[in-house]
Amino acid sequence: MQLSNDQVIIFLLSISVMLFSAKMLGEIFTKLKQPAIIGEILAGVILGPTILGMLSPGTFEFLFPKNSEVNVAIDGITNIAVVLLLLVSGLEVDLAIVFRHRKTALSISVIGIIIPFVLGFCIAYLFPGLLGLVESQDRVVFALFIGTAIAISSLPVIAKILMDLKIFKSLIGSIIIASAMLNDLIGWIIFSVILGLIGANTHGFSFSETLLYTLSFIAFLLMVGRKLISKSISVIQEKLTFPGTVINFILILGFLGAAFTEYLGVHAILGAFMVGIAIGDSIHLKERTREILHQFITNIFAPLFFVSIGMKANFITNFNLGIVVVLLALAFIGKVAGCSIGARLGGLNKNESLAVGAGMSSSGAMGIIIGLIALQFGLINEEVFVGLVIMALITSIFSAPLMTYFLKEKEKTKFRNLVKEEFVILSNETEKRKVLSRLADVASKELKIEKAVILNAVLAREDILPTGIANYLAVPHAKIKIKHPFLSVAINKGGIDFEAADGTLSKIIVLLLTPENNNELQLQLLADIVAKFKDKEQVENLLAFNKHNEICEGLKKLV
Amino acid sequence: MFAKIGLAITFSPTGKALLKETVRLQHLFNSQVVLIHIGERNKESEELLVQTIKSAGVDADKYEVIWTEGDPASAIINSAKDAKVDLLVAGALEKEKMLKFFFGSVARKIMREFPASSLILKSPSVEPINFKKFFVSVDYSPRCERTIRTAFQFALKDNAEEFTVIRDFYMPGLTAALGEDKSIDELKSLIYQLKKEEEEKMKLFVQELDLKGLDVNIVCVYGKEGFEDSNYARNNDADIFAVTGPEQKMRFFDRFFQHDIEYSFEKLPSNLLIVR
Repeated sequence: MQLSNDQVIIFLLSISVMLFSAKMLGEIFTKLKQPAIIGEILAGVILGPTILGMLSPGTFEFLFPKNSEVNVAIDGITNIAVVLLLLVSGLEVDLAIVFRHRKTALSISVIGIIIPFVLGFCIAYLFPGLLGLVESQDRVVFALFIGTAIAISSLPVIAKILMDLKIFKSLIGSIIIASAMLNDLIGWIIFSVILGLIGANTHGFSFSETLLYTLSFIAFLLMVGRKLISKSISVIQEKLTFPGTVINFILILGFLGAAFTEYLGVHAILGAFMVGIAIGDSIHLKERTREILHQFITNIFAPLFFVSIGMKANFITNFNLGIVVVLLALAFIGKVAGCSIGARLGGLNKNESLAVGAGMSSSGAMGIIIGLIALQFGLINEEVFVGLVIMALITSIFSAPLMTYFLKEKEKTKFRNLVKEEFVILSNETEKRKVLSRLADVASKELKIEKAVILNAVLAREDILPTGIANYLAVPHAKIKIKHPFLSVAINKGGIDFEAADGTLSKIIVLLLTPENNNELQLQLLADIVAKFKDKEQVENLLAFNKHNEICEGLKKLV
Repeated sequence: MFAKIGLAITFSPTGKALLKETVRLQHLFNSQVVLIHIGERNKESEELLVQTIKSAGVDADKYEVIWTEGDPASAIINSAKDAKVDLLVAGALEKEKMLKFFFGSVARKIMREFPASSLILKSPSVEPINFKKFFVSVDYSPRCERTIRTAFQFALKDNAEEFTVIRDFYMPGLTAALGEDKSIDELKSLIYQLKKEEEEKMKLFVQELDLKGLDVNIVCVYGKEGFEDSNYARNNDADIFAVTGPEQKMRFFDRFFQHDIEYSFEKLPSNLLIVR
């Protein structure tokens, strides 16, 4: 069987229409600072039975003929797209960071899966009608599936939020990323087990056989496979064309892994995801290769996949407000509560925990993929599928603002967030020791630590190497027994000699106190302060102010 | 600095070279040498030992010999621990073999488990020369501060020509944001910005340490933590790459979820100084 000449034309036409509309609407949503995936799915809704199929059934049938080989061809492409999406998703999982934050990450992801999973399972099992269970379906499997769909998080959405909030490199940022990675890993394994349970395979494996083979496959990949893969990548990079052959190699492995797990009956996505993890672990995999893979999958295959999602069902006739509300409530309550409790048990404070919960609440593309597979297996009806897609989109939109809200307690690692009016003094001292004494006084009152302790620590540091920087700035500092960093500022227009490198007298003296045993925090703050005073003109403008409040404002506005 | 230097003595050519290297270090640090012999103690082996020690030029009144038997790695580690050795010297092949990865070789066991500092030599020579290029991996921790100071003292004593501190940093999962409409340019600019910030921090860090007598070069690289810095040292022909030893004894899990210094352990970038 092969495509006729006309079918080839229609096939190419449909692909271009899908790509064009997905990209266009995706871009519009990006411009509106919303996830592109919404635009891409919306493109599918417009091109699919929901709008085009209603308004112009003829055009719809012409472009996407239902009972034709063209449809099979498009289906083939979207299958490849799902495998590729999971492959790159796996590439980003870094076992080392998961291991580094193992205690917190394990607590967040395990409890963050258990609570929504149990919640979803119970509601779906006890009130199946609420979520549109068809009589003939197995209630347990249905409930298991709803539980998983609710429990999964989306790593890309989380990565983007962290980037937007500029907390990627902070401790909380890396804990969230580690948890999201672990959540994906555990989530996909559970989902595969469920698929194994319903006997999705057609190759005669029993459930225990499927489970055994799947776990052996994962163990082999992560223990021996990743070493072999890493070695191969290094050889390919050295001996063959880069990056072409490496990309080729990665795709081949991804497809092979996918084929193997599909054969086991736990779906192709698990294989692709696991192979992705094994490949991503390689020290020889260059950033450029990762970027190229992401670029072509995100810009070509992901839009095609999401358009096809929008086209899978009629989003108007299958829209069931009840289901959408129940799913959304389950997702938000289960996920935010689960991950927050996990984070709290893992040792984070209340606000941080809530922020983790909010961040992890987006199910994004992963939730949609689970929905699609469930629809294909007949586990859910179209109403639930539509509900899941809407849930995935809404959670992706709202997790960023929610997280920002909970993180409102600003990170105390920036000069700007630490400068407070009450800690800024105007002085006209002429001696270093006297101005330091006044700054220590301010600190002592706020921190409730004896002034002598602070002053001695600062002077001891000053003895090793004076802390005059340049551009009228001096940053005397010390590490003492406190929990959070503190700084007080003296504006001393007469200038005091702190032996700055540029020979200027210091007129802005910033006393910086940081917790003991945290070199990095001290350095981070020092670096931030030095950077703020890089522009001499800006500093001179600041010194031109006379009023206390003007100076404080000026200090906060330094860029 | 190193009051007691330990070495497991063997009579192979590499063993002799290691002994020579140890003697050089003994003179450098004016230390006591602890020689650990694994195997049966008899007249023959005793004679051979005395002869070997003599011909290597070990200071006559500044060494002791420990005779022990059993599994080499544990015997060496335990004897050195009991003798309060603060620098254990060992030789190692550059790469750990695949099978050994799961069972562990003697040198790798020392790297992972010995509680004091160790110096792992890749190609010891019977005519040892001084180490010229020192590279140190930096993570800003107080323990790392000690590593830098130790390596710096070593470099000064050894008349080294180059002393470089390297900081590598990585943000796993960052590329995933590309799947959510972030452009490569945005990613690159974020990394660039963080690299600048890191360099600024490194400058301040080194300034705080107040190291005098040798210029300190500062390098920041983006990439897998623990791998990129050792790779940088390798590509720049380091003679010594110094790392801070892990706080706890490393276990099999650490190799499974490979992280940080495991990369240097598995494939030596150069001679490796592990400070603990």
